Formats: sequence, C-alpha cells, structure tokens
Amino acid sequence: MSYKILPHTADLRMFVAGDSLEILFSEALAGMASILNKKIKIGAEKETVKREIEIDSPDQTALLIDFLNKALSLSQINREVYTRAVFKKFSPTFLSGTLEGVPIGKFDEDIKAATYHEADIQQDKDGSWKTIVIFDI
Amino acid sequence: MEKRDLIKINDLVWEIAKDFRPDMRVPCRIYSSEIMLDEIFKDRSLDQLVNVAALPGIQKYALAMPDMHEGYGFPIGGVAAFDAKEGIISPGGIGYDINCGVRLIKSDKVVGEIKPFLEKLGREIYKEVPSGVGKGGRLKLGINDLNAVLQGGAPKMLEFGYGAAADLENTESRGFLSAADASMVSKTAKDRGSDQLGTMGAGNHFVEVEAVDEIFDGAAAEKLGLFKDQVVISIHMGSRGLGHQVATDHIKIMLGAALKKYKIDLPDRELACVPFNSEEGRNYFAAMCAAANFAWANRQFITYEIRKAWSKIFGNSDELKIIYDVAHNIAKIEEYDIGGKKKQLIVHRKGATRSFLDQPVLIPGSMGTASYVLLGQEKALEETFGSTCHGAGRTMSRAKAKKQIRGSELKKRLNEKGIVVNSGSLAGLAEEAPEAYKDVDSVVNIVERAGIAKRVAKLRPLAVIKG
Repeated sequence: MSYKILPHTADLRMFVAGDSLEILFSEALAGMASILNKKIKIGAEKETVKREIEIDSPDQTALLIDFLNKALSLSQINREVYTRAVFKKFSPTFLSGTLEGVPIGKFDEDIKAATYHEADIQQDKDGSWKTIVIFDI
Repeated sequence: MEKRDLIKINDLVWEIAKDFRPDMRVPCRIYSSEIMLDEIFKDRSLDQLVNVAALPGIQKYALAMPDMHEGYGFPIGGVAAFDAKEGIISPGGIGYDINCGVRLIKSDKVVGEIKPFLEKLGREIYKEVPSGVGKGGRLKLGINDLNAVLQGGAPKMLEFGYGAAADLENTESRGFLSAADASMVSKTAKDRGSDQLGTMGAGNHFVEVEAVDEIFDGAAAEKLGLFKDQVVISIHMGSRGLGHQVATDHIKIMLGAALKKYKIDLPDRELACVPFNSEEGRNYFAAMCAAANFAWANRQFITYEIRKAWSKIFGNSDELKIIYDVAHNIAKIEEYDIGGKKKQLIVHRKGATRSFLDQPVLIPGSMGTASYVLLGQEKALEETFGSTCHGAGRTMSRAKAKKQIRGSELKKRLNEKGIVVNSGSLAGLAEEAPEAYKDVDSVVNIVERAGIAKRVAKLRPLAVIKG
C-alpha cells in the first residue's frame, strides 16, 4: 500500500507513491477507494464491475486528478467503488482502460472532487513517483 | 508573507499593497481584527488572495472577509470582481458546492409552545429530509424535469407543487438565474444530481430548529417578522453532486483553454480561468447558473419536506414562511461605479454572502452554536462589492476532531443543553463539534464594526438534523 492520509484542517490530504506512473495512478485510485468505503479490502476484493474510461489532459498531474475525478463520478452515479485500474494505453497526457470494482451499499465519505491543489507529480532520485492529492469533502 | 507586509488601514481593515508582488494588478484588502489576523497567517489564504489580485480584469481590490481560510484557488471568504468585458471568470472563485447557501424560515410559535414536541419534530424532519453521504431522495427526476429545474430553479419547484409564490419574494434572485443553460451541464453532472433533489448530504450541511435568542435591532426585527423566543428553522446546503461535477468539468476545460488558447498565467491550477467574454467563460457561467438553480430548487423542496414534518405535529404549516434565502458560493453580474464610470462586473463570492442595503444576511454558526441574522449596509456596496462573511471556518481537522471528541459524548453534551440531535453518523457529528470551528460571534462582530452588515438577531439551536 503506497498511499497515506495526512492531516488537513477541512478536507482530506493523501500522499501517494509508485514505482511507475501507472502504479502511482493505481495506488491513488486504491487510496480514494479506501476513503469512499472504509470496509473495502484493496487487493482482496473480487471485482465484479467494469467501467471503460478514456481521458486526456495537459500533463501528468492534471491526468491523475482527472482520472480520479472520472472514477469518483462513476462511483457516485453507479454506487460502486473501483479498486483496480487496467490500462490499455498510458502516457503522461492520455490514458484509456478499465476501472474494476464492486457495488457498495453506502459511502463513508462524500468526496466533492479531487482537487489540483498541492498536486504535483515528481520523480525521486530512486526513480519512484510521488504526489499529494487533496480531496474536497 | 509576514504581518509587517500588511498595511493597517484601520483597526479592522488591512491591505497588501499592489507592489508586494510584481504580477499583482490591484491591492488586497482583508477585513479582520488583529487577533484574528494571527490565526489567518497559520494557513496559505493570504498567498491565495495575492494570487487572485494577479488575475486579469480584477477591479479595485482582492477582498477577504474575517472568516477567511485556505481554499482551492481563491481563499474561502474571498470576494473578487472582474470587468465583464475584459476580465475573467474562475470556478475557483465560486467553489465546488455552487450556491451553497442558507434559508431561514419563521413560524408563529415560541419556544415554550414547541418544547413538548421538539423530539418528535426533530425525528419527523429527520425522516422527511434524506441526509447522509451519497443518500438519494424521494424525488427522482427524469431528464426533462431535471432540465426544467436547471433552467427554472425554485420557481419550477412551485410549478411542480412544492411551495407558494410568497416563498420566492424573499429568496435571493427569486431563486433562479435566467442565464442558466441546462445544455451546458454535462450528462455526468445530471446523472450525479438526478436523485439528489431534496437531500441534505452530510458534512456541515444541516437543518436546524432554532429560537430567536437575542434581538439587537427591534425595528429591523419587526420588519422581518422576528421576535424574541420565536421558533425559526435554518437550512444549510447547496447543489450536491450536480454542482460539484459542474465545477470539476469546467475547471478541466479551462485548464486546457487557459493554458493553450488564452495564455493566462496561472500561479495555481485551481485558479483556472478564461475571459468571461469567451465561449468557455459563457458556457461555465451558464452551467454555474443552472447548478445554482438546482441548489435553490433543493432548498425549496427541503422546505416542502419540513412543512410536511411540521404539519404532522401541528396540523398544518401555513405559519412557516421564508424570511430569506442567500447564496454564499456564487458569481453574479452586478453594476458598480469604478473610477466614475458604471461598469458591469462579475462578482465572485466564495464563502461570502451578498450584503446589499437592508437585505437579510444569514450567517450559520457551527453545530450547536449561535447563528445570526444581519442586514446588509450601504458601506458594503462602497467597499466590498456588496459582500460580507458567510460563517466560521474550521480550526481543527476532521480527523483530529474525531480523535478528540466522541460523537456519543457530544450528543449527550448537546442534549444536556436542551438541544435535540438527529444525526446519521456519530463520527460525522464529532467532525462538526463546535470546538472544531472558529468563533462566529467574533466574525459577526467584525463585519458589524466594519459597517458592512448589521446584527438584527441571534439564534440558538433547539434541534439539529444532519447526515
């Protein structure tokens, strides 16, 4: 698990990391899933729902935020939580693929949106990728 | 930034000069006491205000009210007006919860009459008004009716049978903005909002039964139909998932447009903006108006649900009348005198309330604490683009509040003060504990001393209903 909830006065701040950009995106999705429903078992859920997505954005940070917001809106419309992303195409400004997850009875947190505030994907010297994501709740 | 970078204009107004940063187009002005200023320096809201002062077409000042705190793009408690011809529009200057606002309803009853029924009334309102995270309502609109609501706002709900004409007379903008265009609201936003009309949501949104605790201006109170010990009801909520999605959609569009087409320098992505007089600007404004209409329709339907609950206890609800309904996350086109010329401006109020002369201003306190009714003053039109504060910001994180305060103990504490609590989540209750928020009394005191709004009455809670 490479995400962690950090202190924030009004909303939710999440630190997320990954050995590649795709893993970073997957970890961020898992982190958001754990916020939306605390009982979700990341990696252990039998994903029964699939949603196709396709997103383009100006840069990799915007792509991450837009990806999370796409997953969030699908979550709220369909009452599902997505624990896994399978990417068909992935570049710093475009992705397509499938969100996989489970239906849920209730949400534990009402996330309005993933914001661009403090989001800035950077690569460490060891090659790993990291960023902060703040969710407006 | 440090306190010495601020110029003291008077005891309640502080200025960051235009030359503080080279890209600033106007100075910043902050309405605050010196004590509250020390709190303000604990987050990045002043840096955010300086960023706002750098946006194209901004007029006079980037403004902040005494409840200012860090937001996304603009600070919360921020007010900024841009030239409608040459300036920008920015979703970050309105917020994700478009037209989050407050409605105040009066009754003819006094506290003594209602006390024997308070528990039952709290339960009935809790039953009638769906609340809680992701909770949908009873009213599931088909696409045609939803589009009609997005175009028509609160008046459309009256046509559907959920209120009376008098309800609109005391609602800001009569509960709808005619610039709305439902076709500018995405399918995703409509799907998110289609079953959320008449729902409260969670967090700091609530319905509250209150008593008029103190009258500060007898003549003004009488004009509003307020008297001591009167029972009133407050509603605090906004445009739910539909509004959040409108903001998300258009920030994404603008980030692309601003960066490529209009070459606007963004110090912060959440300040994503485009010229108001552009296709993207007009489209966002039309969508924002539609989301605002949805919020007014939401508060109108919740009024209908409250009237149902009231009727179950007291026989009928004819006595429940709207005192006023205000938005505190919105952009409006308004005319102001700028350098001797009348100019159309896009006034962005993010966590700020319109405060026109003699217009009621409704300031909700945190759960279990006082709320206020004020009247706008002439000085607001002169100094703050007709704006004032909206409430009290958080001082403690939700996580810390949940660690330090047990929901069950808080409920017991409120009960001991005579406050009935109906809440879907004890953890949610703990997050909204009074000690997690700034002191609303201080905030209101400052705006009154600054002359931009005047206290009429203080309200204390009798029953809290929340998700």
